[in-house]
Amino acid sequence: MPETIISTSSLTKYYGKVLGVKDLDLVVGSGEVFGFLGPNGAGKTTTIRLLMGMLKPTTGGGTILGLDTWSQSVGVKRQVGYLPGDARLYRSLKGEEHIRYIAALNGTGEKTGLELASRLDLDISRRVAGYSRGMGQKLAIVLALMKTPPVIIMDEPTNGLDPLTQRELYEILNERRSGGATILFSSHNLPEVERICDRVGIIRQGELVATERMENLRAMRLRNVEIIFEGAIPGDLDLESLPGVSEVERMGNRAQLKLRGDINPLLRLVARHDVADFTVSHASLEDVFIEFYELPGEKKEDEPAVKPPLPPRSLRRGKS
Amino acid sequence: MNLSVLRKTLSDRWAGTLVYALGILGYILMISAVYPTFKKTMAAKSELLKNYPKGLLQFFGVQNINAASFNNYMTIELVGFIWVIIMAAFVIAWTRAMISGEIRDGTMELLLAQPVERWKVLVSEGAGLLAGIAALTVVTAVGAIAFGSAFSAKVSYAGFAAFLPLGICLGLAIAGYSLLFSALLDDPRRAAMAATGLTLFFYVLHFVSQYSSVVAKIDWFGVFHWYNPLSVLDSGNVPVKSILILLAFAAIGFGAAIAVFQRKDIK
Repeated sequence: MPETIISTSSLTKYYGKVLGVKDLDLVVGSGEVFGFLGPNGAGKTTTIRLLMGMLKPTTGGGTILGLDTWSQSVGVKRQVGYLPGDARLYRSLKGEEHIRYIAALNGTGEKTGLELASRLDLDISRRVAGYSRGMGQKLAIVLALMKTPPVIIMDEPTNGLDPLTQRELYEILNERRSGGATILFSSHNLPEVERICDRVGIIRQGELVATERMENLRAMRLRNVEIIFEGAIPGDLDLESLPGVSEVERMGNRAQLKLRGDINPLLRLVARHDVADFTVSHASLEDVFIEFYELPGEKKEDEPAVKPPLPPRSLRRGKS
Repeated sequence: MNLSVLRKTLSDRWAGTLVYALGILGYILMISAVYPTFKKTMAAKSELLKNYPKGLLQFFGVQNINAASFNNYMTIELVGFIWVIIMAAFVIAWTRAMISGEIRDGTMELLLAQPVERWKVLVSEGAGLLAGIAALTVVTAVGAIAFGSAFSAKVSYAGFAAFLPLGICLGLAIAGYSLLFSALLDDPRRAAMAATGLTLFFYVLHFVSQYSSVVAKIDWFGVFHWYNPLSVLDSGNVPVKSILILLAFAAIGFGAAIAVFQRKDIK
C-alpha cells in the first residue's frame, strides 16, 4: 500500500449558504498522478484551494504529508508546488524577478527556475505586463516547480499553452513522478488526463462521485459495435442476452449495439453466422465521464443511440 | 518579519513615495516663499482674524494670532490640514493595496502559496508602510526647516523635530483602521472609501468639538483629538501621551487586521 501523501476527511466548504464541496474523502498515494475532473463550478478549485490553505474548511479537513492543510499550511507549502487555476503575477516585475523573489521566499530553487524557464522557452527578461496568456502560464508553472517539491498541485495546468509546451510539461511531470513526486491536478482536458494520470477523481456538484484507476475507466468504456451480416440478421440471434450488451438496434442486415466488458461471448455468438463486416469503436473517456454526470432521472431514454465515430480498427471476415 | 516581502514592498513603493515627497517639498517651497509677504500683511489682518469664530481659529491651530509666527503659518498652511490630507491619501492608497487589492489582483494567492505566514506578510508590508510614512514626515520637517530658513523665517528646529513622532504616529493611526477595512472588505475601492469616510468623520468630529462641549466629550475617540501640531511646534516638546494613544490606535487597527487576515478566505 503506497504511503498516503494527500488525504481529506469529510472536507466540506460552504460560501455562506452556497455549497463548495461536501464530505470529500480523497486519498492520493505516494508517487501517484491523480486527475481531478469535473465541470465548471463542480468544486475542483475549491478543493485545491482548501488543500493549499487558501480557504478555511467549514467542517472536516485535509492533510498533506501528515500536516494539516489549514493549521499547518506553512509547513504544507514548503513541500508543495502550487499552480493556481488563474495564475496572476506581478505585472511590474520581470520573469526573472519573479523567479528570484519566489526563490528567496522558499530559500531555494533559483537555478532550477532558470533552467525550467529555458526549457519552456520563456523570455524572463520581459516584464509580465508584456506577457501573453501562455507566457504567463509558463512562468506560473516555473514558479510552481522550481523548488522541486515532493508534492505538486496544479489547477488546469495546460490552460493557454500551445501543444508543444503541453508536451514539454507532460515530460516534466513524468520526470518529477519518476523522481518520486506526487501530483494532483484538475483538468477539463480528458486526453491529457488519460495520458498521464494513474487515477481519476470525478467531482460533481461539490461531491466526489467516483475515483477510479485509469485502466478501470478504460475497461468501463463502452464499445460501439456494428455487425453487418451477409444476409438478413438471423432470427435466433439473441444479442440482448449477452452480458454487457445494451441498446441493440437491428436495421436490415445490420445490427448495432453497445458493449461493456468482455467481447468474447459476442464474438462466439456472431462467429456462428456469415458476417460481412464487424467493426468496433471505443467510446471516448468523455462518454464515461459524461455518464458520471447524468443525475438520477435525467437519462433521456428516447435519445437516438450515439453513432460510432470512424472505427480505429475493423475486424473483417476471415481475420481473427 | 519576512525580509524578502519587505524588500519587495520597498521596491514596489519607492517611486510612488518619492512622488508624494517631491509634492510635499514643492508645496513647502511655495508656501515658504510666500511667507515673507504673508508676514507683512498678517499684521494688518490680525485684527480682522480676531473676529473669526474662536472654534474655527482653534481648529486650524491659530488661537493666538501671531503674525510673526512661522509655526502658526505652517500649521495653517501645511501640517494642520493639507499635510493631513496628503498623509491620509498616501496611507489609504497603500493599505488598500495591501490586502484587498492584492487579493483582487490575484497576487496574494501567489504569495500565500509560498511558505510565509500570513501575519508575517502583513508585518513586513506594514514595516514598509512605516518607512514610507516616516520618509514623508521627515521630508516635511526637513523641508520646512530648510525652505523656511531660506526665506528668513524664524524656524523652530526643536518644534519640527518634536513634530516627527507626532506626524508618524498620526500616519500609523490612520493606517491601522485603513488596513482593517482592507482586511474586512473584498473590494479595494470599498476599503478605501470606508477608510476615507472614517478619516473624514474623525476630522469633522474634531471640528465640531470646538463648538460643542457634548461632541468634545467624544472627540477623544477620534485620531485628530490627539493631533495638535501647533502646540508641538511652539513648545518643541514631544507629546508623549498623544503619541502613545495614536500608537494604540495603530496597534488595535493592525492587530485586528492581522486577526481578520489570518482567517480570511483567499478566493
